[in-house]
Amino acid sequence: MIMKGFDMMSFIKQAAFDLHNDSIKQWKENNQPVVGYTCSQVPVELFYAGGILPVRLRGVGIQGFDIADAYYGPFICSFPKAILQSMAEKKLTHLDGAVIADGCDSMRRLDECWRRASDDYSHMNLPFFHYMNIPRKVSNHAKEWYIYEIQKLQSTLNTHFDTNITQESIQKAIQTYNNSRKLIEKIESLRKSNPPEISGSDAFCVSLAAESMPPEAFQKQTADLLENLSTQSTDIPDGPRILISGSAYDDIHLIQTIESAGANVVGENVCFGPSHRMHSVSENLPPFEALMAQYLLACPCPRMFGRFDHRLALLKEKIQDVQAKGIVFQNIRFCDLHASENGLLERELEKEGIPCIRLEREYGSQTDTGRLRMRIDAFLERIS
Amino acid sequence: MRPEIQEYNFDWMLHKSMHIAFDSLKGSKKEYKYMLNYMPYFKGLMDLLGKYDEPGILFVELVKDAVDEIVFAHDQGKKICMTTFCLSPIVLLAMDVVPVVMEPLTVLPTILWKRGTYDFMNYCFEVGLSETSCSSQRGALGAYLAGLCEPIDFVVFDSGGVCDTNANVFAFSSSYLNKPLFQLDYPASFLDQKTKEYQRQDFRELVSFLETQTGKKLELDQLRKGLEETHRQDLIISQIDELQMLKPNPLPPIFNLFMYAGRFLATSKPGYTKLLESMLNTVQKNADQGKSGLQSGKEKCRALFCYIDHYSSDARMWNFLDDHGISHLGSILSRFFPDHAPYLLDDDINSGYHIQLDSLDDMIDSLAEINARSPMVKSIRGPYDTPYMWLEDALAFARLYQADCIVYSGTPGCRNTWGMVKPFARDTEKHGFPTHIMYSDAFDERVESFETTSLRLAEFFRVRQLI
Repeated sequence: MIMKGFDMMSFIKQAAFDLHNDSIKQWKENNQPVVGYTCSQVPVELFYAGGILPVRLRGVGIQGFDIADAYYGPFICSFPKAILQSMAEKKLTHLDGAVIADGCDSMRRLDECWRRASDDYSHMNLPFFHYMNIPRKVSNHAKEWYIYEIQKLQSTLNTHFDTNITQESIQKAIQTYNNSRKLIEKIESLRKSNPPEISGSDAFCVSLAAESMPPEAFQKQTADLLENLSTQSTDIPDGPRILISGSAYDDIHLIQTIESAGANVVGENVCFGPSHRMHSVSENLPPFEALMAQYLLACPCPRMFGRFDHRLALLKEKIQDVQAKGIVFQNIRFCDLHASENGLLERELEKEGIPCIRLEREYGSQTDTGRLRMRIDAFLERIS
Repeated sequence: MRPEIQEYNFDWMLHKSMHIAFDSLKGSKKEYKYMLNYMPYFKGLMDLLGKYDEPGILFVELVKDAVDEIVFAHDQGKKICMTTFCLSPIVLLAMDVVPVVMEPLTVLPTILWKRGTYDFMNYCFEVGLSETSCSSQRGALGAYLAGLCEPIDFVVFDSGGVCDTNANVFAFSSSYLNKPLFQLDYPASFLDQKTKEYQRQDFRELVSFLETQTGKKLELDQLRKGLEETHRQDLIISQIDELQMLKPNPLPPIFNLFMYAGRFLATSKPGYTKLLESMLNTVQKNADQGKSGLQSGKEKCRALFCYIDHYSSDARMWNFLDDHGISHLGSILSRFFPDHAPYLLDDDINSGYHIQLDSLDDMIDSLAEINARSPMVKSIRGPYDTPYMWLEDALAFARLYQADCIVYSGTPGCRNTWGMVKPFARDTEKHGFPTHIMYSDAFDERVESFETTSLRLAEFFRVRQLI
């Protein structure tokens, strides 16, 4: 079946925003397991090497936190709360297991809240549940520790899912995911022209879909989309070029709000999408070393303390690359790591004449679009 | 920040306050009483310290000396290190580095000054720190970020893997002030060999960092002296810990603060040993007479503080406990886990650290082991309900110290504990310990006034028929 550009985008959007999307259903129909994970430092290749589909845990579409609030305290980021709520509301019933990584304090406590909620909601009791401990620094012993953690994960996955994850199968999985990364890179390259050849919201959907569907299916859809886009003319108007940076962000409402105000979102520096995924994992290093280099050493998250200069340099490079004229720093309330980092980054970039704005929001669909739109309008006036 | 606040250096104001407090307490009873008329806003605190004569005076002296060290550090050719309460200062002191410990420096003005540290707390937001970050550092940090203190030379923290909001403050400060940074990082696990090895290697990197920053080598004799003194202090603390198990508890509630604040500021210093000896003397006397450490002498209830205390202005928390006949059984801040600690006899708590003095290598290993058991570092690094972590410790303490209830006090900035305190409280209730979660901020009364906090506490004690 040949799908037109619009239909392809619909398919990708469904994959990006339906937690139990068609691709996952198809995967499950073949009796293959699906495991959810919480953090961009968890190496997806390891799961795929064992025939397990890794999907990033998210809470899109949640309308409230009535169940999550019974376990989490009030001063907690709404992202992990939304995951817990999704699970409690049976929106993640396709999961055969979950890996909770200690990405940040709010997220690492999902481990306990989930386990305690399982006592009250039996459907939350997954047969496979694993806690992954990732160092917050880069040193020789931290590198060793990360490899030790992925070896542990490999061993538990092998035992629980009766699979055989080998160095060869990891190497193959690395190649497979690198193919996805190359396609995302191509999509991203379409955002570099002025005006861009793809809207920010559509481009970001592609990145989100990559974390929510089997890589082969993603590659097919994205290759088709790219082919179709190359034959289509775009009607994206010229507008100020904006980069979004900060906390975990996995919907398109903020992008749409910015784009509806007349700007073009030309890149994201958040822990979904290209900033954490685009660079290919080395295919020359031994697989575990390659995964460690990608997921520990290159990690641009402020949870890696003492690496501010590294992140600032990456951000400047990205700004240069996409020719951004303004930066929207956003953070989820109670995400102290990003909120504080945003303050520092703003200081540095404003010094260099790059306009910045800092916005605080809640996870998920915007409940305060009006407030954000007003601030974005004012910001765009400043840079137009 | 208001311009008038910027006219005075924060550390100098603290230095002056501590000298006045010390001189007042050292005066005759008549002079002291007369002086109280001039201290309307911290009369309660002064009275509280004054009640205990020698331990109160020694505590004030210890803090005064610690603040003096900061103010005069550079004059004396010493480096200043910004750090956190959960980093044991032994290694810093052994290298002649003056620690600026953010949390005690926030607590002091919070309980001493009428206006608290609000201006400094708010200043942190002005320069970009998240407004939801932990208040325990912000009170002093704002002054450091505003340049109202003797400047720091470098930053060391050990809350990587333990507490993000704590670690984040130090990482932010290092970038903002453009000062070198070192973090000790902790795995979620605790006692296994791999974890120990990680901690050992990390601590050796800390020593190298300090040697680079100070231009000095860590000297065997100085470190040995410091560790020997620490061992002496640990033995006294263990004796106090054991006496605290008695019913009634002979330890005055405020002594908990003396014990941990002294530890955070002056472990391995003789002044802290002197304070502990004096405290032990008072506690032992009470125990010999079968007396409670409370002013009334009557213990109605025994409360274990499973996290931290509440540092309202004028130290009203401790007076509240005293007035209501509630014994304070310690908190996460007052237990340090040396191998001879009486609570280690309980099967639920792991073995403690052992100080070895044979070689420099042994001593550095000992430092790593001590630090791995620092408050927070030990018990909230991993999932709260796994072995050796928060729940196991809290239940073991509650049983050993015959607690009637458990009280959680913290700050809204504590992502780590607010992430699981509800399931935690459920578990402690299941084990038969009435548990109260305080929603106030231990360092910032603007979140909830102490009047409200104390009403809620009183309600808890009344409704659960604890007093």
